Amino acid sequence: MNRPFLYQTFLIINLKILCMIIITFSFVMLNAENQIIKVGIYNNSPKIFMSPQKQASGIFIDIIEYIAEKENWKIIYVEGTWEECLHNLHTEKIDIMPDVAFSPERERLYSFHKTPVLSSWSQVYANQGTTINSILHLENKTVAILKSSIQEQAFLRFIEGFDIKINLLSLKSYTEVFRAVYDKKADVAIANNFYGLQHIKDFDLFETGIVFNPSSLFFVTKKNTNLQILDTFEKHIQHLKNNQKSEYYKSLNKWTTENVSYQFPLWAKIFGLIIITALIITTIAGFILKKQVKLRTKELEKSNLEMEQKVKTRTKELAEAMEKALQADQLKSAFLATMSHELRTPLNSIIGFTGILIQELAGPLNDEQKKQLALVQKSSRHLLALINDILDISKIESGQLTLDYSEFNLDEVMEKTTKIIEPILQNKGVKLITNISHKVDSIYGDKRRIEQILLNLLSNAAKFTEKGDIKIYCTYNKKLCNIVIQDTGIGMEKDELSKLFKPFSQIDKGLTRKYEGSGLGLSICKKLIEKMNGNIKVESTIGKGSIFSIEFPYKKETINE
Amino acid sequence: MNNNYTLLIIEDNPDNYYLMNFLLSKHNFNIIGANNGLDGIKIALQKVPDAILLDIQLPEMDGYTVAVELKKQKSLKNIPIIVVTSYAMPGDREKALASGADGYIEKPINPETFVSEISQYLKPK
Repeated sequence: MNRPFLYQTFLIINLKILCMIIITFSFVMLNAENQIIKVGIYNNSPKIFMSPQKQASGIFIDIIEYIAEKENWKIIYVEGTWEECLHNLHTEKIDIMPDVAFSPERERLYSFHKTPVLSSWSQVYANQGTTINSILHLENKTVAILKSSIQEQAFLRFIEGFDIKINLLSLKSYTEVFRAVYDKKADVAIANNFYGLQHIKDFDLFETGIVFNPSSLFFVTKKNTNLQILDTFEKHIQHLKNNQKSEYYKSLNKWTTENVSYQFPLWAKIFGLIIITALIITTIAGFILKKQVKLRTKELEKSNLEMEQKVKTRTKELAEAMEKALQADQLKSAFLATMSHELRTPLNSIIGFTGILIQELAGPLNDEQKKQLALVQKSSRHLLALINDILDISKIESGQLTLDYSEFNLDEVMEKTTKIIEPILQNKGVKLITNISHKVDSIYGDKRRIEQILLNLLSNAAKFTEKGDIKIYCTYNKKLCNIVIQDTGIGMEKDELSKLFKPFSQIDKGLTRKYEGSGLGLSICKKLIEKMNGNIKVESTIGKGSIFSIEFPYKKETINE
Repeated sequence: MNNNYTLLIIEDNPDNYYLMNFLLSKHNFNIIGANNGLDGIKIALQKVPDAILLDIQLPEMDGYTVAVELKKQKSLKNIPIIVVTSYAMPGDREKALASGADGYIEKPINPETFVSEISQYLKPK
C-alpha cells in the first residue's frame, strides 16, 4: 500500500519541478527575445496617428518600428487622446510617449533624449478667401485649438503681448480643429506645421503668415524611468539623422510630401466625359450591333437552311412529279398505241371486205346491196377519220408529235389536195380558183402535215359552200408563206369564231345534222400550224362566207433559228 | 393482173389474212401464208416468194425481228418486204424501214388501191 503512495508523491514533486523550470525558462526566453515596449499613440497626422485600418502610422511610428526591429523589441500601441496619453505615461500604462515638444515645464515631468526628432512650429490656418495675415487680424475671432496642447499655452502667451481679444475653441483633435474652421464655427485653426502641411487641402484652408512657438519634438518617458530605452532612441536617432539615406529621411519624405494631384481644366473634364460617354455608348452600341448582326446572321443561316431544305424538298417533289408525269406520258403513249392498233384491226376487216364486196370481187351485187354497202364504206371511213383525228390530237397534246421536215414543191401538194376536193365541188357547181405565186420553187416543211391542214381547210370550205366559189391564194414574203382560202359559204357569227379552234366545238345550230365531222379538224390545224411556229386566222360574215389564212416559215434557215 | 407472182403473207389474224389472200388471189397472185415469224422465215427460204407481206404484231417473234432475219438470208436479201400493220403511231414507219422493210402500208388497207400499192414493189418479170 505504501509503495504506490510514495511513488505518486515523487511523481507530483517531479512534475512541479518540471513546470517551474519550464515557466522560468519561458520568462528568460521572453525577456531575452522580445522586450515589450508600450507606446502611446494619438491622432496628430502625419507625425503620429492610427490609420482607419487601425494601423499605427506616421513619422514617429516609422522611427519606433525601425528601432524596434533593430533592438528586437515588441511594440504595443496604446491609443488615446493627447491628454489621455500623457495621463497613461504618468500612470505608467505606457513606457514611452512620442511627439512631445520640449518645454521647461515638461522637463520637470518627463525625461527627454538629446537629439530632437523633428523641429516643429505652430501655425494659424484660415478659410480660403479670408485675409488674415497678421496676429492683429485675429481680434474678436474664434480660434480653434487642440485642448491641453503646447500650442494652447503658447498661443495664449503669444497673444498676451498684443492685447487682443479672441474666443478660444478648445477641441480634442486636430481634425475637429480644422473641421470647425471648415464648418465656419471658428475663424482660424491652430496646428503644428506638420499637420497643417498635410491637411489644409482636405479642409480647403490656407496657411496664414502667423507662425509662433518653434519647438523641438522628442520621445519622452516618465521622469527618470526607462532611461535605457531613451538612450537607445538617442543612439538610433543620431545615427538616422546623420545618414541622408536613412529610414528617417525616407519617412520624412513620405509623410511631408504634398499629395500632388493635377487638376484638369473644366473643358478637359467635360471633353473627357463626352469622349468617355461616347466611347461607352459606342462600345454598347457595338456590342448590341454585334449581337443583332449575330442574331440576324443566325436567322439568315436558319432561313437559308430552311430555304435549302425547301428547295431540296421541292426538287424532290418536282422530280417525283416529273417521274410520275413521265410514267403517265409513257402510259398514255402506250394506251394510244394500243388503242390505235386495236381499233385499226377490226376496221381493216370492215373497210377491206366492204371494198371487196363493192368491187364485186366476191360476186355480183344488186343496186340496193351496192347502195347499202356504200353507206357502210362511208361510215367506216368516217369512223377511221375520227379515230385518226383523235389519235392526232392526243399525240399533239402529249407532245409526241414531231414534225418531219423536208424540201418539197408546194404546187404538188396543192394539186393533190384540190384533186380530192374538186369532185365534191363539181357536184354542187362551186368553182375552185387558185392563185399561186411561183416565186418560190420549193419550200422546207412537214409535207404530210401541211397537206393535212390544206385538205382540212379546203374540205371545210367545200362542206359549207353551196354556191359561188372557193379561192386559194398563195403568197410569200421574206420569212413566211401565206395561204388564204376564201369561200362564199354560210359564214359564222363573231362569237362563234372564238370557239372555232377548240376541240369538239363544231358549231351546233342544227348544223351537225347537215354537216358531219369530228369537230377536231380545225383544232388539229391550229395545233399543227403553231407547232410549225406559224399561225391561223379566220374572218367571217354570216351568210357571206369565211376567209381562213395560214402563215408559216418556209425557209430552212428561218425554221432552224 | 400479174401472173406468176408468188406472195408470202405473214399474218396471225385470220380475218386479215383471209382479206388479203382473197383480194390478192382475185388479182391472180399466188398466195402462201404463215401465221408466225419463224414459220414465215422457213417458208420464205423454201419457196423464195416474189414479195413478203409482213405484219408487225406477231406471236413469239415480232415483225421487226422477222424483217431483220429475212434480210440476213442470202437468198432472200433482194426479196421486197412490205410491212402491213395496224401500228400507225409516229416512228412506226421509220422503225419498220430501219428493220429492212421496203414498204409500209397502214391498216386499215384501202381495198381499191391495195393491189396497186403492192405491185409497185414487184420487179417486172
